[in-house]
Amino acid sequence: MSNVLEIRNLTKKFGDFIAVDNMSLAVREGEIFGFLGANGAGKSTTINMISSLLRNTKGEIILLGKNIAKSAKFAKSNIGVVPQDLAIYEDMTAYENVSFFAGLYGLRGAQLKERTVEALEFVGLGDKHKAYPKNFSGGMKRRLNIACAIAHRPKLIIMDEPTVGIDPQSRNYILNSVRKLNDMGCTIIYTSHYMEEVEEICTRIAIVDHGKIIAEGTKEQLKAIITDTKDIWIGIKSEDEIKVEPLKQIPGVASVRVEEHMVMINSKAEVNNLNLIIQQLIRDRAEIRSVEEQAPNLETVFLTLTGRNLRD
Amino acid sequence: MNEILWLVRKTLRSTFRKKSSWLVFFGLPLIGIFVSMLIYGNLSGQTLRVGIVNADGDQALTQDAIRFIQGLDQVKVTMMDEEGLRDEIAAGKLDNGIRFGAGFAESLQAGKPADVQVLSVKGATVTSYVRAMLNDYLGNVASIAQATSGDKAAFDRLYDAYLQSSFKVSAETLEDTSSIKYMTYQSIGFLIAFMMFSSVNMTELILKEKENRTFLRLLTSPVSARTYVLSNVALNLFIMLLQIAVTLFFMKNVFHIDSGIPTGELFLVLLLFGLAAISLSLLIVAFAKTTASAGALSNLIVTPTCLLAGCYFPMDIMPDAVKRISNFLPQHWLLDTINKLQHGETFGSLYLNLAILFAFAAAFALIAIYRFGRNNDTRLFV
Repeated sequence: MSNVLEIRNLTKKFGDFIAVDNMSLAVREGEIFGFLGANGAGKSTTINMISSLLRNTKGEIILLGKNIAKSAKFAKSNIGVVPQDLAIYEDMTAYENVSFFAGLYGLRGAQLKERTVEALEFVGLGDKHKAYPKNFSGGMKRRLNIACAIAHRPKLIIMDEPTVGIDPQSRNYILNSVRKLNDMGCTIIYTSHYMEEVEEICTRIAIVDHGKIIAEGTKEQLKAIITDTKDIWIGIKSEDEIKVEPLKQIPGVASVRVEEHMVMINSKAEVNNLNLIIQQLIRDRAEIRSVEEQAPNLETVFLTLTGRNLRD
Repeated sequence: MNEILWLVRKTLRSTFRKKSSWLVFFGLPLIGIFVSMLIYGNLSGQTLRVGIVNADGDQALTQDAIRFIQGLDQVKVTMMDEEGLRDEIAAGKLDNGIRFGAGFAESLQAGKPADVQVLSVKGATVTSYVRAMLNDYLGNVASIAQATSGDKAAFDRLYDAYLQSSFKVSAETLEDTSSIKYMTYQSIGFLIAFMMFSSVNMTELILKEKENRTFLRLLTSPVSARTYVLSNVALNLFIMLLQIAVTLFFMKNVFHIDSGIPTGELFLVLLLFGLAAISLSLLIVAFAKTTASAGALSNLIVTPTCLLAGCYFPMDIMPDAVKRISNFLPQHWLLDTINKLQHGETFGSLYLNLAILFAFAAAFALIAIYRFGRNNDTRLFV
């Protein structure tokens, strides 16, 4: 597979602050490429440079074999950006929104009409083409946001948190749309705070931290990086009595998270400390309902590599 | 070019879909003309209502003087007694009153006319015309009396000849165009203010697009920031062209105000000012970060400068200090150009005024471009 996008030694400085630090990566044709990083890790800056919204300080971005610094128009014509913030006109109908943005890519006449209808149908807003977005639900607005980015049939689609703040039904619709777009031959760069989404749809993932890519590969390859840890999930009746600090003192325990009716412990794989953990929970008068030992997921990988949660 | 037209088309459609836009862009300048007509429409063609009390009986000279007043243009004379005169002046039914006292004719024939009382509660503005005309007439008759030195036959002969000659004066009526000029001046003054506000409104769309995040999306398409700003300028210019054309059309064909300037010249001068207005609005947008701050800035800049430059009130009534300040305002140079054109100066001779207007447009635009160029943050700036 050829590379749709290549980033070589990309650097972006804002004064003395280095937002992106000598980053290199390649996105292959037909991939759904996950781009993971906590807030401030440098992923939005990278995406802005790929979208020609920001100029890089150093390095090169090659899209479909052409340097975007020298062929900005070519690059822009082949990219569709679904921004994190809704970027649609509330005073224009759904049809007018999609048609306007598609027109910016040079589409006119019957072709413009056909692509506009096609994009609206694709996101399930075909029957709402005359409606104004101000009357749409959050999920419908997100879908219109996507339609505006795909009507010109870009080779590369960049989706920046496309499912933020919407209901599960709309989220599923959008995730299915991403898969369908990929099946139709689009290469997609996908960023999300929802690890399970990335795990579900991305074929390859890069983890960004402090402006650098600290890990890159398929889900399996990333999980294999941290074979020396294990996750222990303990179901409890109430989390009120749980004391985190004593649990962290148990040999081998790397991190402890307490969420609704669940204690999630990441521990060194070779240390057999389950009985100590259980004893501590019993001392805390916790009513244990289940105990499960799991192989690490992407969340654990991210936490181990960056030392922080994705949502930090 | 294609991209600019596409952007202009979209903004035109979404702007003029709102009925309020029609009122703001075209209705308000027309209301400005209407207000000017209300203010200045009554300055010419007004009839003076004059009441006359004749206490000198049937004296021929007194009767002739009364006939003289009756013959004056735009004067309506009513004969009445003294008490009626006072009452009607006090009630505002008369603009002024004239009282010929007993012995007036005799004093006139003696070459020393007794004072004619001209009464009014409205001041010199309404009495001066009748008083000046009457004094002129009485002065002539008194001169005849002095020349004939009490010789009644000689006086009568010369007086008859004077009366006859006065009918032989060939008179050519000239239209009083001052009120039309004031009306044009003030209508243009209002148009200037509305042009400036509508220009800021249109340029504010750049900030609105930034706030709505659509601006960033536009920049991810093949449209560049420069193209986008150019499309905004083109749209602004197009709307201004329409605004000027509609206003001048209504002024001439509906309100029948003849500006005294060829329409083409007036159009060109206004368009040149339009460029300055667009540049100024770009400058405002370049310095403002939100639509709210741009709105506040435009109110702070447009309203006071229009006031100082004479858009709302004639410059003649302004103190000298204000007149000097207005030299630094583009509105002043437009109004000055129009004023000079109305007073017969040729378009070509006003190259300095036109150059100053152009310089304002260029200076504002250059500062705006410099400011835009210094903005490195894509989330906020062009």
